[in-house]
Amino acid sequence: MKAVSLISLAALSVATTAASAEEVSIWVRTSTAPILEELASRYNESHDDTIDVVPVVAEQMVPKLGAALAGGAAPAAVAMDLIYMPTFAAAGMLEDMTGFIDSLPYADALSPSHIRLGTYEGKKYGVPLTPDASVIVYNTDMLAEAGVDPASLETLEGIKDAAIEISALGDDTYGFMYVGNSGSWMVYDFMPHIWAAGDDILSEDGRTQTVDTPAMRETLQLYADMWAAGATHPTTRSGNGNAAVEAFASGQVGILMSGSYIVNLLTANYPDVAFNIAPIPGPDGGRATFAGGDDVTMVKGISDEKKALVEDFITFYLQPEQQVLITEMSGMPSRTDIADVAYADFDERNLIAYDVLKSGRTPYTYANDELFVSLTGPWLEMLETGIFDGDVDGAIETASDRFEQILKRTNP
Amino acid sequence: MSETAEAGPSPEEPPVVTREPHQWLGAALITPSLLFIGLLFLLPMGMTVWMSFHNWPLLGEPRFIGLENFSELMGDRRFWSSIRFTALYTVLVTSAIFLVAFPLALLVDRPLRIAGFFRTIYFMPVVIGFGAAATLWTWLLNPDNGVFAELLLRSGLVDAAPRPTESFWPALIVVILMVVWKQAGFTMVILLTGLQSVPDDVTEAAKIDGAGPLARFVRVTLPLMRNSIILALVLNVTWSMLAFDQFFIITQGGPRNSTVTAVFSIYLQSFSSYRLGYGSAMSLVLLVILVAISAMQMAIVNFRKAPE
Repeated sequence: MKAVSLISLAALSVATTAASAEEVSIWVRTSTAPILEELASRYNESHDDTIDVVPVVAEQMVPKLGAALAGGAAPAAVAMDLIYMPTFAAAGMLEDMTGFIDSLPYADALSPSHIRLGTYEGKKYGVPLTPDASVIVYNTDMLAEAGVDPASLETLEGIKDAAIEISALGDDTYGFMYVGNSGSWMVYDFMPHIWAAGDDILSEDGRTQTVDTPAMRETLQLYADMWAAGATHPTTRSGNGNAAVEAFASGQVGILMSGSYIVNLLTANYPDVAFNIAPIPGPDGGRATFAGGDDVTMVKGISDEKKALVEDFITFYLQPEQQVLITEMSGMPSRTDIADVAYADFDERNLIAYDVLKSGRTPYTYANDELFVSLTGPWLEMLETGIFDGDVDGAIETASDRFEQILKRTNP
Repeated sequence: MSETAEAGPSPEEPPVVTREPHQWLGAALITPSLLFIGLLFLLPMGMTVWMSFHNWPLLGEPRFIGLENFSELMGDRRFWSSIRFTALYTVLVTSAIFLVAFPLALLVDRPLRIAGFFRTIYFMPVVIGFGAAATLWTWLLNPDNGVFAELLLRSGLVDAAPRPTESFWPALIVVILMVVWKQAGFTMVILLTGLQSVPDDVTEAAKIDGAGPLARFVRVTLPLMRNSIILALVLNVTWSMLAFDQFFIITQGGPRNSTVTAVFSIYLQSFSSYRLGYGSAMSLVLLVILVAISAMQMAIVNFRKAPE
């Protein structure tokens, strides 16, 4: 409702302002909205044109945008969760931005995963706005108390042993926690184990499934072992992201699967927690991360004036000054070449995530909601069967079939 | 109409003239509701039928595919298991509501001043929206900071906080408890009107004839309040067959998709897989099932009525 009234307000003001000053609306999911709003207000102060930010609830972004596009009432630009980029690009809904992106002097320093997801059939459709990377956060006091060397977290095997040791510290103490009931959280935090071992769940082009890999089997098994051993916090199975942060901050959990945002979140809200960050390992080593975040993209067919304004706004927020603001608010800059400037005043632990982001990955898929996000989708079903019921073989078999079926139907 | 004219005592009278504006007026008076039904029921219904013959994605062009959606639906294991689950839930929750609502109705059917107070208390949860009630219960059931877990732990009944939504029967049972808490009051009121419609002299007469309390209830009261029982039954069955909010919010379809109801699976296909055509086909099949169930219930009413 709020979004709708904002749109009509925006439409009204567009109609009444003189032709000289242009105005565009950018839709953004609510979690990224504060950053984009701050950037827009800085931009609007120093320019005649206006950027109008319209927050949309994350789960409603795809249906709302789909309906708006079908009804011809779409905004000029969208700050889109990068995982949906292939879907909208393949549907022919986005404006080709290849020329603009390649002309940027720092084109090579834009988060590679953001660019890859925003590329469809050789054309680029999006510019990174907010990157974030999944990482492990661990409680250094609890590791020390349990006699666990942080270096042992460099393999998932080592994490399992560490988790069991930490759980032995007390009745209400658990070694390990993640958000096991959310498909998108688990893509973010669980998938890097598979990537770290050199495997993947989908082919590079997102058209075929590769669910059944040795890394998937080993990872599921190790997670299942930790669950069976009681080393995993029991709320892992049904809790949400907030429950996980609370459990970690209150010292109930030694190792939490999390993301780069956690550094600024913990230092701001829980200054007493002694923690550190580590990259996510595979079963026997390696490291990987899920590169999440938003791409700014333009809706196909917008006027040249609006296009120029969006491009100008993008160039504006990619300047070092605004990159510092983005880093301050989200933990990471959109460019990979300005760490010294962006992090000068911030916690060094941010750099660990920043380091892995360069090699960050994101599944390239046309069926994200159906495969990974849906509460009843094959991804969550596989994790639930494999980890909490301990049936790894059955889980992988069912998931392979269901992935296959869905891909057959959704491939463009 | 010609009959009326012939039956009229004086053919000179111009009855047509007086009747014409009445017909006109009648049509005008029902236009708003016709428009209402047309725009909000028939048109969407027609759209649903039309969409069900298409591959209708959220993004991109719809494509006509004839009956393909329906033939896929016939072999859709997940849809049929959601129908089976909905049927199971309907039977259990309807029985549970009646088991609670009947004694409540008997309790508050007293000429005591305090009875009104209790009627209000039992009815109160009914006015809460289903979504709000389900959200409230999700919070109450939260194992880490919920009220139920805290009460059970403090009273020493359990050692660890129960996590009912993590296995099938406990998950189903907590949802049923929630729905009984929320809906029993409504069924109670319907049954109460039935109880109060039983004339006192009939019960009195049965008493004089020597019928005990149980016999009076089973042989006199129950048959006389049949209409309210049927009404309560039809409403409860229809609502339960359309259950969505309580499962969407409390169990989220888990564990392992075992508590996905029919409407939930329509929602998933339409708004999670964005297959609007397939979702429409599912809605139509559910509509047919619901009409069949209602027709069956109505047939039972008529069948029972006939011998009288």
